[in-house]
Amino acid sequence: MSAFIGYLLNGLAVGCAIALIASGLVTIYRVTGVVNFAQGTFAVVAGLCTSSLLGLGVPHGVSEVAAVLVAALAGLLTGLAATGKRDTTPLSSLIVTLGVGVLAYAVEIVLWGDQPRSAPGLASSVTIAGARVQTQHLLVIAVTAATFVLLVLFFGRTYLGKALTACASNPFAARVIGIDTRLMGLLAFALGGLLGGIAGVLVTPLRPISFDTDVTLIVNGFAAAVFGALTRPGVALGGALLLGVAETMAAGYGYGSHQLEVALGLMLVVMVVQAGRRSTIHQETV
Amino acid sequence: MKRAAAGLLIAAVTLVLPAVLDDSSLAVYILLGLAAMVTVGVSLLMGYAGQVSLGQGAFYAIGAYTAALLALNGVPPLAGLIAAPVAAAAFALVIGTPLLRLRGHHLAFATLAMQLILLSLAGQLDFTGGDIGLQAIPRFGIGSVEAESASAYAYLTWAGLALVMLVTHNVIASRPGRALRALATSETAAASAGIPVGRYKLVVFALSAAFAGLAGGIYCFYTGYVAPGSFPVLISIQYIVMAVVGGLGTVWGAVVGATAITLLVQGLDRVANLPGMPTYAPSVLSYAVYALVLILVVLFLPRGLLPTFARRTSSNPRGNSR
Repeated sequence: MSAFIGYLLNGLAVGCAIALIASGLVTIYRVTGVVNFAQGTFAVVAGLCTSSLLGLGVPHGVSEVAAVLVAALAGLLTGLAATGKRDTTPLSSLIVTLGVGVLAYAVEIVLWGDQPRSAPGLASSVTIAGARVQTQHLLVIAVTAATFVLLVLFFGRTYLGKALTACASNPFAARVIGIDTRLMGLLAFALGGLLGGIAGVLVTPLRPISFDTDVTLIVNGFAAAVFGALTRPGVALGGALLLGVAETMAAGYGYGSHQLEVALGLMLVVMVVQAGRRSTIHQETV
Repeated sequence: MKRAAAGLLIAAVTLVLPAVLDDSSLAVYILLGLAAMVTVGVSLLMGYAGQVSLGQGAFYAIGAYTAALLALNGVPPLAGLIAAPVAAAAFALVIGTPLLRLRGHHLAFATLAMQLILLSLAGQLDFTGGDIGLQAIPRFGIGSVEAESASAYAYLTWAGLALVMLVTHNVIASRPGRALRALATSETAAASAGIPVGRYKLVVFALSAAFAGLAGGIYCFYTGYVAPGSFPVLISIQYIVMAVVGGLGTVWGAVVGATAITLLVQGLDRVANLPGMPTYAPSVLSYAVYALVLILVVLFLPRGLLPTFARRTSSNPRGNSR
């Protein structure tokens, strides 16, 4: 039983990191219509930044915040490349973000080398219902919960958040009432970078990060976002938690070598079932 | 007339090169031909069927593993080489039936997922040799004649490429080719004009897989070993870069793109291996080149090198390079 609770909390922590990546994907996709392949890269950049800053002796807190801001800047730059030029179709933008992800490999190897790096997190552990749980896992869950509450407040209560939502629901109408949709698109990319950065900073103490970790992160994040058809953050959060718990349980109870296949297979099934429900005409006009 | 002369010239140069190149240049020449073979398929799939596959490396891997497993079990190499594209196409037909209901970014991620799953399986299963892969694959040969020199593989590669280009050219020029162009612009419109959209997409998907499978088959005989590490995700991205650079939906564009990128990466590799350069230089430079070329071409030359160039030099307003 205590093993079960341990795996559950561990899985929830993994799921939270996936959820942050997925929410970044959803934010960007809703506002700009672009699926951002470089979303995992933001997490990697933030993770590597924290490890460097902490290594230089910058105190905890400052390092993490700085790393998240660097990731937000990376998001903004990705947005400029992917949507900065007029008349870029969403599929071209996807290929551009793919290019940005590969370009980031080059930059990351120059700055940090090609070996995995880790960062010290909260080293202590607490005992919950007989299970020893790393405090870092609890921190991940708490920060993610706080981030999602802030996101809900931002989108629901602030002018900027409402402008972003307006762009997402009807870009033409948004432009008519004077919202700069391109600026909002860039803002969405920066927000996506921020969310990816938070995920990276939280995950680095749990599992070492190297430049090519982004493929695993983006595929998991996309799998979670697909649960909510890339547009519903709440469903994506649920999907991410399910994915994280399922993967950790599979690993914990001895099917560890197949956790990637499980996650990806689940994603394929969900996508194919969803595609079967929608008509081609609907997909071509949206 | 001019075009026929250019074709003859290219054919002559292609045939003479293996005889004059040294072994290290021949390796580049063979890999270039193999990459071009896969890229023709990617170009057909992206340019005509309007579908992006990030998993083309998976079909390459299936072809390589099929030929390798058959050859290691005593099947004649020629039969193994023929089985490689057949196995890849059969797999594409099976997996494509559900997957091709997806489109755009969904299909891109689905094909990427397919490659990750296959690589992970190949690294764990016993009959594929796990992470170490399959080694000591017999040399290619027909009857008692064995292909031992690199130049023999160069001829084999470029014969394969010629076959792939011929097939693609005939597909594009035929009635199904026009249907494919129609469905790339709008599936709804194509379907309402009586085009069996699903079946055509599936056939193109299988055809592009067969091209990749054939390239994989030749690759395994040439190198003599296959392992999951030979087929990283980056290899699939590389084919996209080559197809986009050359110009989507053009047969020659794929070859031009593959040539341009391969020579560029090789040239930079020489620079990166100069004394005094850091050890990470080769990988950094190749990543940077793939990325920058991909981004710049997609944004500023969306039609690709060959069509843009052809339109500027000739009076053909469609810029069509077939």
